[in-house]
Formats: sequence, structure tokens, C-alpha cells
Amino acid sequence: MTISRFVLFGCVALVALVAFQPADDPVPTGPYELRYPASFGGRFNIPVDNPMTQEGVYLGRLLFYEPRLSATGTVSCASCHQQSRAFTDGLVHSVGVSGKLTRRNSMSLVNLLWVRQLFWDGRSNSLEEQTLVPLQHADEMGLKPGEAAQWLQKTAAYPALFRRVFGTDTITDARIAKAIAQFERTLISADSPYDRFLAGKYVLTAAEERGLRLFSAAPNSGRGIRGGNCAHCHGGPKLMQELFHNNGLDLKAIDPGRQEVTGLDLDHGRFRVPTLRNIALTAPYMHDGRFATLAAVLDHYSDHVQASPTLSRELVPAQAGGLGLTPTEKTDLLAFLHLLTDTVFVNNPQFSNPHIRH
Amino acid sequence: MTRFNFLFRPAHWASFVLIGAFCLAAGTGFGQITISGEVTKPLTLQAADLKALPHTEVTGKDRDGKEHKYVGVPLADLLKLAGATMGGELRGENLMKYVVVKAIDGYETLYALPELDTDFATRTIILADSVDGSPLPSGVGPYRIVVPGEKKPARWVREVKSIEVRFAK
Repeated sequence: MTISRFVLFGCVALVALVAFQPADDPVPTGPYELRYPASFGGRFNIPVDNPMTQEGVYLGRLLFYEPRLSATGTVSCASCHQQSRAFTDGLVHSVGVSGKLTRRNSMSLVNLLWVRQLFWDGRSNSLEEQTLVPLQHADEMGLKPGEAAQWLQKTAAYPALFRRVFGTDTITDARIAKAIAQFERTLISADSPYDRFLAGKYVLTAAEERGLRLFSAAPNSGRGIRGGNCAHCHGGPKLMQELFHNNGLDLKAIDPGRQEVTGLDLDHGRFRVPTLRNIALTAPYMHDGRFATLAAVLDHYSDHVQASPTLSRELVPAQAGGLGLTPTEKTDLLAFLHLLTDTVFVNNPQFSNPHIRH
Repeated sequence: MTRFNFLFRPAHWASFVLIGAFCLAAGTGFGQITISGEVTKPLTLQAADLKALPHTEVTGKDRDGKEHKYVGVPLADLLKLAGATMGGELRGENLMKYVVVKAIDGYETLYALPELDTDFATRTIILADSVDGSPLPSGVGPYRIVVPGEKKPARWVREVKSIEVRFAK
């Protein structure tokens, strides 16, 4: 190869490269490498027909923040799942295209890679299935089946992006869901002060340490042990377990919860035990957003647990009211709960709105 | 220390009993067990089916630290009924099989298939339906796994919903 031919080849290659990847907005390609602490474990929920790729995550992020995925062109996934609030919206019930309130409180999106049953009642087994529900719910994004795909098909940019991810520029609802699911699986939070404490890189204050002890210990009056036993359902490095319990909000549940999914009387008033990760950012609390503050949540478990027939067995020692936490114990628990806020996660530029140029 | 003394007030125990009675009266709408996965005959057993199967009594220490008598159907019998590779068939690659037991609240644990097989195990793991002569209480029953001799009852799954045989990949 002569010098001139080499230069010519180089120029052609450069032009080809620039044509494929605009210098200001390169679409990354290749398998997506998941990074997470070893203690989180590798029990992922990734369907075999939707392996994670960098281009898939890229597209999913665009779609997550895409208001054109709604009947009014004003509501995106991010409307009710805002990064600064750990992907919640701060409302008791959310408002979608119809102006009507949603039935349940917007859920935090975090560490979904490990979640196997989604929604407050666990009715969906994959993010791919779950994503289409708000998209097509009349009071959320309000689109009819196929409508989102039609909208995006007419745009200049999306068909090429879908071709890059799925090998075809035919856009379908299923492919939209797959891409959004890929992005959502990257929403990994593992850098809160609590994570750093577990890694030996953060020293707890005295109040935080007392709070951790109350969080972890089961109360035992015989042995004089005080505890909230919170970790029984909310413990582990991910601060999440896949459980559905009735936590004693009402004597007769207003919303039957998981019973609607399974048809079992024993599931009456049972809801997902939510992750406590970033819990200080995700007010208001419970499936119906009835508690405005974490202090109100602690007051519930401490003093107001309702002994309904399906009350969680873990709360039964508290049946006659609650744990009876002292004001100091509540303050200590609050100090601990604030350790679970991952500011790196809520500020991670990889999770922010890609349609806004910074 | 005295904060939990309400547990020992008879009035409160009476209310627990009332709640239990309410559950029984209302009917739980629950009592079937599915057995699926690596079996030749997947089964859904109703409460009456389970009641009719031969029962075995075992003793085990619950979280209260006390020994209790549990009566129920050996898991080995249920697995044989569904056509899992038990007994003489439990050899070679079948030793890479395990059983996942799920509760209605989503709790799940596993047991290696030989742990449940009478040719291997010295203890009998049962699907209990009664404790000390009474039906299992609300929040525990109608069915609970009991693993006699296990020091920590974390695998004594309460409110059992399903039993699935799987191959470790």
C-alpha cells in the first residue's frame, strides 16, 4: 500500500465513521457491562430475548424521557419517575393525560435488574410487560396499542435507532418496551453512605449506629432487646426482598392489593414490600401515599398497626398497636434511614434527560 | 422491657383467637398446592386431596425454641406422586435437581432433591397441616414445610403455595 492510497483509505474510513456516529452525539454500541457490588448477587431478571446492549440502553433512555409517548405529547415515563426524587414524583397519586389521579403511588425505580414481580401488587413478571401498562393506561400516558409505535415511526431519528438496536427500523410497542426495559435495568443504586459503611469506607455516627441496631434487631422483651425488626423484610445489601405483606394500615383494606391478582383471601391488603433505598427522597409513602413523612411511617409501625386477619406475621408481636418506639429511638431510626440516600445515583448523568443538552 | 407486656394480657390473646376464628369462618379461599417443573405429572392438589394422603408425624423446634409435634405429608411422597426422579431414579444427573418451595407472600427457599428422598435423608421433611393437634394458625398455614432437626427454621416456609422441581444449570 502506497502512502497516498493509505491516506485515501484513511479519509474514506474517517468519512464513514463520521457518517455513522455524529461527533457530537455518538451512539455507543456493543454489549452493556453491568456494574454492581458482588453482594447484590447475580440473580438478574433479564429475558433471554432482550439482552442488554449499549445501543439498546441509549435508545431506552431517549424513550424513557420521550413525551411523544403519550396521547397529549406532554407525559413521559420521567413525568412520574423523576431522577431527583429517586424516580418518583413526590405526589400522593400521579396525574397523567386525563387529569385524573392514578390509583396508587408512583414507585421508585431502582435496582430493577433484580426485581421479578413488578407493580405494588406484583402483577407483572418483566419490565418489558410492565412498561406497556402506563403507556396504554387511559389515566397515565393514554395511548392505544400500536399508537406509540406509529408516532415514533414518523420521526426522523427513531427508525434508524431502532434498526441499530433490533436490526429493523419497524417500530413496535414490544420493541419500545424492550428498549425502555434495558435502560431501566441500568438504574443501579449502590453508592449510599450505607453501602460505603458496608464496604468499610464510612463510619457511622452514634445515632446512625443506634438506628442500625434498631433496624436490624427483632424485639425481645424477655431478653430486654429493643428493635424494629425492619431488616426482616427490608434488609440485605439491596435493602429489598421480593415479598408481599399487609403492613397493618387498615383493619379492612380499602384497596385489596395482591388479592386482585391472585384471587386469594389471604392476599387481602397485601402489597409489595418496597425497597428502602433512597427512601428519604421518595415521599409520600405507602401504596396510597398516605404518609407524608418518614416520621409518620415510623409512627405507624410504632403505634398504629391495625390487627387485620391478613396482617403480616412479622408484625404480629406488634398487633396491639405497634412497637412502641421512644422519641429517641425514632430519631435514631430516621438517622439510619437517611443513610440510604444515594446522591451519586440521583445525580448520575447517565440517567438524566438526554433530550436536554447540558 | 415492659413495652411488650401487652402480649401477655389475656384480653389480647382473646382478640387473636377471634381473628383466627374469623379467618376460619370466612374461609381462606386458599388450600391448593401445585407441584410442577421437572416432573412427569404436574399436579394441583386441593385441600381434600392432601387430607386424604398418608400423614407422618415429626417433631421440630420452632422460632419459640420449643419442640412441637407437626403432622403432614412427606415431601418425598408428593414428589413421587408428581413423578419426580426419586428413589432408584435419583442418581447421575438427577442429583443436580433441586426443589423450590414458594409461599404466597413471595418467600422462597430450596432443597436439594436428595435432602427430600428417603433413600438419602435420615430426616423426613413434611408439608405440615397441623401443629400439636390443631390446624396451623393464620399466617402460618394452611401448609408449612417442617424440616426436623434444622437449627434455624428459615426453610420452614409458611403459607406454602407451590413446589417446583428444577435442574441446576
